[in-house]
Amino acid sequence: MTLPAGPGGTPVTVGGQNALPLLPEGEHPNAPTVGMEIPTGPLELPAALAGTIGPFAGDPAAMARKCAGDWGARFLFLSLAGCHPDGGGQSVLEGAAVVREVLSATPVPVIVGGCGDEEVDARLFPVVAEAAFRPVFLSYAEEKNHRLVAGAALAYGHGVVSWSPIDINMAKQMNLLLADLGFPPDRVLIDPLTGGLGYGIEYTFSIVERIRLAGLSGDAALARPVLCHLGDAWKAREATDASEETWGDIGARGRRWEETTGLACLAAGADLLVCRHPSSVARLSRAAWR
Amino acid sequence: MALTAIDIYKLLPKTNCRECGQSTCLAFAMQIAAGKASIDLCPTASEEAKEKLSAAAAPPLPKVTIGAGEREVVLGDETVLFRHEKTFYHPTAIAVSIRDDASEEEFASRLAAIRRLSFERVGQRISVDLVALRCVSGDADRYARAAAAALDATGLPLVLLAPAGPLAAAVEAIAASRPLLAPPPEDLIPAAKLAAERKLPLRVRARGIDGLSVALADARAAGATSLVADPSPETPREAVAVSTNLRRLAILSRYRDLAYPSAFDLGGGFPDPFLAAALLVAKYGSLLVLDSADPADLLPLLTLRQNLFTDPQRPIQVEPGVYPIGAPSGSSPVIITTNFSLTYFTVRGDVEAAKVPAHLLIADVDGMSVLTAWAAGKFTGESISKMLAECGIGEKVTHRTLILPGMVARLSGRIEELSGWRVLVGPQESSALPSYLRRLPPAAFLSVHG
Repeated sequence: MTLPAGPGGTPVTVGGQNALPLLPEGEHPNAPTVGMEIPTGPLELPAALAGTIGPFAGDPAAMARKCAGDWGARFLFLSLAGCHPDGGGQSVLEGAAVVREVLSATPVPVIVGGCGDEEVDARLFPVVAEAAFRPVFLSYAEEKNHRLVAGAALAYGHGVVSWSPIDINMAKQMNLLLADLGFPPDRVLIDPLTGGLGYGIEYTFSIVERIRLAGLSGDAALARPVLCHLGDAWKAREATDASEETWGDIGARGRRWEETTGLACLAAGADLLVCRHPSSVARLSRAAWR
Repeated sequence: MALTAIDIYKLLPKTNCRECGQSTCLAFAMQIAAGKASIDLCPTASEEAKEKLSAAAAPPLPKVTIGAGEREVVLGDETVLFRHEKTFYHPTAIAVSIRDDASEEEFASRLAAIRRLSFERVGQRISVDLVALRCVSGDADRYARAAAAALDATGLPLVLLAPAGPLAAAVEAIAASRPLLAPPPEDLIPAAKLAAERKLPLRVRARGIDGLSVALADARAAGATSLVADPSPETPREAVAVSTNLRRLAILSRYRDLAYPSAFDLGGGFPDPFLAAALLVAKYGSLLVLDSADPADLLPLLTLRQNLFTDPQRPIQVEPGVYPIGAPSGSSPVIITTNFSLTYFTVRGDVEAAKVPAHLLIADVDGMSVLTAWAAGKFTGESISKMLAECGIGEKVTHRTLILPGMVARLSGRIEELSGWRVLVGPQESSALPSYLRRLPPAAFLSVHG
């Protein structure tokens, strides 16, 4: 499956493997790929992130260029959290303008994430789908909103991220629902919901292993690339609390927390990782073996 | 492979004598197959049956113990390849290294640093398990003294990374603590003889699966029985591949000659040791030796281990009770949820994100999520009212208003009737708590007396 790029950019192709991850067996035509999140709206960054991505707060286009350039992100996850009533309250038209800015700033593949407010997202996705002048992925379609999100994506040639709450049956059900709508399976990514290290990573680990094992043993509805968003790693107190000196330097600890979350996802079989710290791109790419 | 109930039934006397406590031999066979009964309960079982059943019951990966007493470390004894198939039993043991040529001061401060690598998480203590003592001096007396000092200072079992001479001297000094002997490949035979004589565990190091099958056979021939296999990979990628292969040979192929817990020395010049360690915790490493004693490295590794080695069939539970979030006062909101750890952490995180101080009531529902507990009849108007009356929250707040998870809104009437508390129905999803809490009027929590 391919996440398309703009003119002059490199598309991201993942999937196609017929064996478990990290092992020199079977065929792994494409390595797992690491991208970065572009936040919008007001940011309250933990210490380990403030120094690196802090200067880009409020300028998603500049951050997109930095991520895709110096920081080596192969794709971007543009979070429109700024459209949430509690997250800055940008209008959906402002959100769509940010999408266009980011798509103009860099040709790397882009996944556009909603703001998480059901009512706002219902208005946001159709506007974003129309505003995006090249194919992107919309994140995410869940049971409640899948008709709307998949409809918007179909109308403008985008892909969707199919979301389920750490539940393999729901993950399968979502993909069957999308198939019922006639959505092309090669434009669907599975987001199984990624718990942070220490706060539910074991559930994600086992669900990703089970999705991958099911896909490999012929369950077509689960044979899709898996996307893990590592953002929850930064909700952990261990990644952000500078006051606990016995836990070691907060900068190193925060980076390690995200890196360890990502390594667990890779070991389980994730194909795409979204991280927040630039160092995670390089670190996790070192374990992204084919 | 494991025997089925029918396979076992064929080996039983089929007399339905009930001596085993089961009503029929078939019922007994099913109990054995499920691992709930032992063939020893059958007074008339043949020797052949006993032999076959105990061979089938032996774990595909043998158990190796290092150390003694409460710091004993158990490696191996696993039965599945994926944690969702059953569970992983024995967490990857983590050893932090120390060199015997360090000055007395450096040595003591390094040991103190290793001792501090112990953290409290979700009511459990997670700690580094062993000290790996590297012989760099080549001096047998010095090494033996260092071993005694390391044991004395930390109480942790030791991995003795040393050539035959110093190894023997250290064993003389601390054999009772049951260290793991870890000689270089060229000293395998004398170390294996020492391990056999002292009944100590031995790490066998050789290159790859091929090297190990020869070296492990040599160690067995020298009389050593309690073995750990180190395939000495050169890269993280090779480490993960060979670790997986060893475990598959043990579990799937029941290939006894190579079925041993694995060990990896990620110190010295090993490239990207942290990355290798995290992947090996996820992928079948039984024992890892690390040179880093930085808590910023060890806390994430120990947390990953704690997560992956929890039993997926038994959710981690949080201690029921009243949890303060922020610095709540008598007029702060009271929120209730269940004691499934993931539920607790999600709700706690969302309340913290709201930056509204609150009292979080964690109900005892045997570690189920809100909806599951409601469906199972454990999270009910009765049980919630009982908790409100007994947990002491009445003395902590002056109001009588409870925020109930939106999923179980239907319980509100019963709670108000039984407890006298007013119920506010919270959001369906915990993620909506921040905006919900910020929008609550302070009048919602006015004192009932004022």
